[in-house]
Amino acid sequence: MRPHYQDKVAPCSEACPAGEDIARIEHLVREGALEEAWRRIREENPFPGVCGRVCPHPCESACNRGEFDEPVSINSIERHLADFAWNKGLVASTIATPASGKRVSVVGAGPAGLAAACFLRRLGHEVDLYDAREEAGGMLRYAIPEYRLPREVVAWEVGLVLSEGVRFHPGRRLGQDLAWEELSGFDAVFLALGAWTPSALGVDGQDLSRDGLELLEAVRRGRHPRVEGAVAVIGGGDTAIDVARTVLRLGADPVIYYRRRREDMPALSAEVLEAAEEGIPILTLLAPERIEAGAEGMLRLVLAPMLSVAAEGGGRAQVLPAGAPPVKVDVTAVFTAIGAKPSSGVPNDTVKSSRSEAAGFHIRRLVPGEPGAGRPPVFLGGDLVNDERTVAMAIASGKEAAIAIDAELKGVDLEEIWSAVRVGRKGSVSMNCLAGGDRSLRRNHVVRFEQLNTAYFRYQTREEHRRILSAVRRVRFDEVKKPVPTAWAGREASRCFHCGLCDRCDNCHVFCPDVSVLKNLRDGSRQIDYDHCKGCGVCVTECPGSAMVLDEEPR
Amino acid sequence: MACPGCGAAIAMRLLLKGLGEKAIFAIPACCWTIIAGPFPYTALKVPVLHTAFETGGAVASGIRAALDMKGDTETRVVTWAGDGGTFDIGLQALSGAAERNEDILYVCYDNEAYMNTGVQSSSATPYGAWTTTTPVPTAKRSRKKDIIGILAAHGIPYAATASIAYPEDLICKVRKAVSIRGTRFLHIYATCPTGWKAPSETSVRLARLAVRTRIFPLYEVEDGERFTITLEPDLCGIDEYCKAQGRFHHLGPEDMKRIQEDVDRNWRRLNVLAGKC
Amino acid sequence: MRRVLEGSFAVSHAVELARVGVISAYPITPQTHIVELLAEFVASGRMNAKYLRVESEFSAMAAVIGSASCGVRSFTATSSHGLALMHELLHWTSGARLPIVMAEVNRALGPGWNIWADQTDSLSQRDTGWIQLYCENVQEVFDTMLVAYKLAETVSLPVMVAMDAFFLSHTCEPMDLLSQSDVDGFLPPWRPVEILDTTDPKSFHSLSPPDYYMEFRHKIQRAMEEALAAYVEIDAEYGRRFGRSYGICEVVPAEEGARSSMALVTTGSVTGTARAALAELAREGKKVDLVKLKLFRPFPQEEIRKVLAPYSRVAVLDRNLSFGSGGIFAQEIRAALGGLEHRPVVYSFVAGLGGRDITPETIASVVDRAVREACPADILWVDLRE
Repeated sequence: MRPHYQDKVAPCSEACPAGEDIARIEHLVREGALEEAWRRIREENPFPGVCGRVCPHPCESACNRGEFDEPVSINSIERHLADFAWNKGLVASTIATPASGKRVSVVGAGPAGLAAACFLRRLGHEVDLYDAREEAGGMLRYAIPEYRLPREVVAWEVGLVLSEGVRFHPGRRLGQDLAWEELSGFDAVFLALGAWTPSALGVDGQDLSRDGLELLEAVRRGRHPRVEGAVAVIGGGDTAIDVARTVLRLGADPVIYYRRRREDMPALSAEVLEAAEEGIPILTLLAPERIEAGAEGMLRLVLAPMLSVAAEGGGRAQVLPAGAPPVKVDVTAVFTAIGAKPSSGVPNDTVKSSRSEAAGFHIRRLVPGEPGAGRPPVFLGGDLVNDERTVAMAIASGKEAAIAIDAELKGVDLEEIWSAVRVGRKGSVSMNCLAGGDRSLRRNHVVRFEQLNTAYFRYQTREEHRRILSAVRRVRFDEVKKPVPTAWAGREASRCFHCGLCDRCDNCHVFCPDVSVLKNLRDGSRQIDYDHCKGCGVCVTECPGSAMVLDEEPR
Repeated sequence: MACPGCGAAIAMRLLLKGLGEKAIFAIPACCWTIIAGPFPYTALKVPVLHTAFETGGAVASGIRAALDMKGDTETRVVTWAGDGGTFDIGLQALSGAAERNEDILYVCYDNEAYMNTGVQSSSATPYGAWTTTTPVPTAKRSRKKDIIGILAAHGIPYAATASIAYPEDLICKVRKAVSIRGTRFLHIYATCPTGWKAPSETSVRLARLAVRTRIFPLYEVEDGERFTITLEPDLCGIDEYCKAQGRFHHLGPEDMKRIQEDVDRNWRRLNVLAGKC
Repeated sequence: MRRVLEGSFAVSHAVELARVGVISAYPITPQTHIVELLAEFVASGRMNAKYLRVESEFSAMAAVIGSASCGVRSFTATSSHGLALMHELLHWTSGARLPIVMAEVNRALGPGWNIWADQTDSLSQRDTGWIQLYCENVQEVFDTMLVAYKLAETVSLPVMVAMDAFFLSHTCEPMDLLSQSDVDGFLPPWRPVEILDTTDPKSFHSLSPPDYYMEFRHKIQRAMEEALAAYVEIDAEYGRRFGRSYGICEVVPAEEGARSSMALVTTGSVTGTARAALAELAREGKKVDLVKLKLFRPFPQEEIRKVLAPYSRVAVLDRNLSFGSGGIFAQEIRAALGGLEHRPVVYSFVAGLGGRDITPETIASVVDRAVREACPADILWVDLRE
């Protein structure tokens, strides 16, 4: 048996749609190398400031530390790094890749489009980025409320992406100010139009209700529409929560109505909790029946009580009318936030129909021969195609699109590329791997908790991200989550197990009975003296992060 | 020349880290007689006098006397012996040296049997263990000798236990021992994957489990009376420890119960001695 | 300086004068006086040495193995059971080529418990690689101790100085004690070849596979052979300086300038009795030459052949017994003479075991029997109660 050093993949990286090298990032933070950590994030995700504020952090759910005591506060550390970079005035690294001479158009400057633009530039392609609105950012700029995502953060990170040489064309809406023909002149097209079209409530009087997303956009544009008194917000997702909390800050009294149970709400539990802290009631198992106009501009919302019925065979629970008398509330406004459909400009049935096919985990491609398809290749991504409509997923789309387009333009087999850049098996990909960087040397094996040696870690509770007082939050749009202190971030980062990565803890060197793990004192690297190593495997067992393997000796 | 995963090899490495190069070793017959390598080679960079089995404490006393006569009070004299050469045949010489409070550091690396000669039982073999001279169903019926207790009774300035799985604690104790004059004794738990019938890679893990289960508590005794527990481990049941070693596979529930009771009793006793109750 | 001392104290004084640095002591009758006086020398400060009160004889030998390995002149003393307990380490000391000198008080081995003179103890250890020198009187004990150190350090082998229990250990005799400067002139500081040294670290006595072991053993044998010549030289030097030398053996003819037909071989304190007894017998006309053997290991084959071959009968007085074989001196003498074409008949007399007195009458009876019996049995028991 022969031991050797073999870095592997941490589960957080696999769970992160952007495939960030989280284990390494936390190591760098622990070492105090904050700038390097920030750049490491930006190698895979151009929006740490955004994600560090609004991402649902699937990384933390997958974190192996969660099986030990509590997951590492990866999300908050990311926020801290972005703030650090901003405070220090750091700029994006310059691109060294030679120009390919190819031109790509990206339509939609939301996170998916911006990510695609960013990565395409890094691969050496020229990028023209179009957006219907005046500024880039999409939902980041025009939907997510200020108290969750301050405008300046968006502006700065968007600015960093654009500064990498993206040509931005604002005020160009596809199908209006931007024709398909113009796009055909490019070598490739990426459509990331988002999902802005509100879904209809589907009840009588639905015209009396207002689109929640529209309200959010108005507020983001600096217009503070008058809203007062009792207000109903229909929906259970993050948008509904955002609308309700925005309404609260505008001075009204929102109540959220959701047709299913609290635990069925698709909104992030942290968001739901914050809403509750701010005193917003969330009434569940009530579905809108109709909206009636009342006196003096009031509205009467009629809701039917629902009953949750467990599905046979353990599927999603169903809700059925409970048969109880309807609930009536008098409100000044009813806002809906029940899901949005993909934006116009692309025929609705293109997305999920046979006219496009999956080209990756988070992107689709128009099938040749269909209208709008043919040369150049057209890819689709972001909220347009993703089931999970989060910023991180959008970034994943943008990255995949960049990689797929790059492969297409170089005439390289995309399947081979995918297997080289995958991080884990859930669809995340890595630009570092594409470039043959250090991550490409890692074995694509995701380290499970059982494979770690946790004897070298002490229990330490997780630091929770502090928030400003609820009383203050209710009346202002100030950012709710406070900045993360550096010492706090350092403490959290040192809780990281660095699954699959060697962090030079020296256990292998200390415990080798045969003095066969040699340390190079100058550069800290380690080497095994195979002449004296007996293959006992103690080093592999005592490696806390499972960064070594024991293989049979080749004959 | 050690077996793969040898705990005694790890123990020696850790000892030397704390000791430095100004030391002379007396090594009575034990695994390290072989591990050190055959003539004309040696694995150690310190002077070594290999000696007869029972003589560890006495030879070290002689070396110390000679060094003192030569005016060298700096060089440390260390006896490095296995459990056989300490608990059994070497006990007399150790006791004599301790009684005279000889200025030596006696280190016993304990792999809980006469491993070098093929896994025969010693008085350091724990209750219930299989060895070639305590084969099932006559697995060892008597308890492991309390060597620290024996040495504490001699009133020596410093006696302590250590485990290869806790290198910082071990090296700390070595450094502390070295700073004291008089007879100092270290009892190091050194896994023997070969003799305990455990996979070689579990060597350090077993040494950790021994401490966590409190089968081998980490503590020190100063001047024979001041007890200090140096590590409060995350408690772990003895099951995991025993299941991982072939030498305990034959143990039934009664035996396990008895072992756990012994472990608990000993831990309570230690806590009382350490003034913690 | 003229003193009246018992053998034990003569040893202690010799150890002090030899500037021994480390002494290890475990008491056993009748060696105790040796180590007691040394304890006083060290405690009073007149002797600069480390005194280790060890807890058994094997620790006594182990301790001086440790100290000698560091290049410090070392000493211990024992007797009988103590020597037997040291057996393993006697092998170790010679194998380690350490020039340790040990005073060995010849005392019987039990059971039953017997504290009196008997040579079986030291002779049982004749295979252990120690040089063995036997002494007749207190002066010889003192002189032999000093010669022993010089010899040991010359050939790097340990030396046992044997003296009979009580007859020598506890009997006071007038003797000459040398001065410190005398001894310093004869016995310089020891210059060891290899020692334990942190500035030049080495491992000693490690695992020695078949490829190397035999050569080590060969070297020890060669050293033993050199010891024979070295002893003679050192003994002669001692004689030149201080007027006393003992040689490998001493021949006392019954008649000056003549050789009798029979010789009586003795060792140890009984030699004194034999001198007187044989002188008396010579006056009666029974001429028997006395041959006193001093050096037993290395066994002086050549010298024995040279000295004894001319006799037609050789009576050997053994105050010792190897069960199933016989008197040990007789055995070795027979073996040395075995190859000769014309060899004397060897009479092996076993007498004085466990301190039973060997009187002039005993000697006379021994001579008588040797004269009468033509073909002796392997063992001739003397003064045995039926």
